[in-house]
Amino acid sequence: MARALHDPLIRAWAWLLALSGISTALAVAVSKGLLSGAGVTIGGAAILILAWAKANVILSRYLGLAQAPFWHRGFRITLGLYAALLLGLYLIG
Amino acid sequence: MSDTELQPPAPAAYEPPSVLDELPGDLMMWVLIVSELLVFGAGLAAFLGVRITDPLGFAEAQDALHRTAAGINTVVLVTSGFFAALAVRMAEHGRKAATRGWLAAASALGIVFLVIKVMEYAEKASHGIGVETNSFFTFYYLLTGFHAAHVVAGIVILGLVSIRCTPRTVEVGAAFWHMVDLVWVLLFPVIYLLR
Repeated sequence: MARALHDPLIRAWAWLLALSGISTALAVAVSKGLLSGAGVTIGGAAILILAWAKANVILSRYLGLAQAPFWHRGFRITLGLYAALLLGLYLIG
Repeated sequence: MSDTELQPPAPAAYEPPSVLDELPGDLMMWVLIVSELLVFGAGLAAFLGVRITDPLGFAEAQDALHRTAAGINTVVLVTSGFFAALAVRMAEHGRKAATRGWLAAASALGIVFLVIKVMEYAEKASHGIGVETNSFFTFYYLLTGFHAAHVVAGIVILGLVSIRCTPRTVEVGAAFWHMVDLVWVLLFPVIYLLR
């Protein structure tokens, strides 16, 4: 078990499951009225940040960009700017 | 014959490795991945842009979606991506049977994803919800439908690379599958979760 957790692929998969679980839990909390007012907006922003984190895990581990620093940096910057655009559109709405 | 003609050819000048050599897998697959991400990225940004004009209508329409089913589909797809990555690892070690096994497992989860998606569409249809119901559902059907079409294409590609099973083909096929996975982790929160 401890050895398995040292495997970057297994760690990436576990992170993706955990981040997806947190996103869904936040959305359920909003839809059941457990969050209200600014809490809904903060929850939405957190969901977008979690999506950005998941996309980064897929790029670096599943697609192997962790071994290509130049491209990894480029994709991370582009993805970060895109996530900021989505966050801006969400906050305006 | 002059002296210059007798001289051996000069050795080729040393060329430092290009950053393109650093890129894992096939360059054309990356071109495809980036172009697909641009298409879906534009679609999701347009979705959030139109949402600005009717936030309450979008929130109401979103309540008709099955968040749990979409959450299960997220687990299914990221696990499928994990299996595809394991297939690449097995291919690099020359273990063809294990490679084919992980590719088959990744494809099987792709089919599970599609079955859940079809059930979701059937439920919407039973409530009379279609592409023309409102702007939210137009985007919903276009984006999730286009993504589902990529899942179908991905299953076919994984099947083809398992027939012609070399480290290079498996890496290229898995890269396409990861792109499908990447699009879903962006699409799922924007369409199903954001309020």
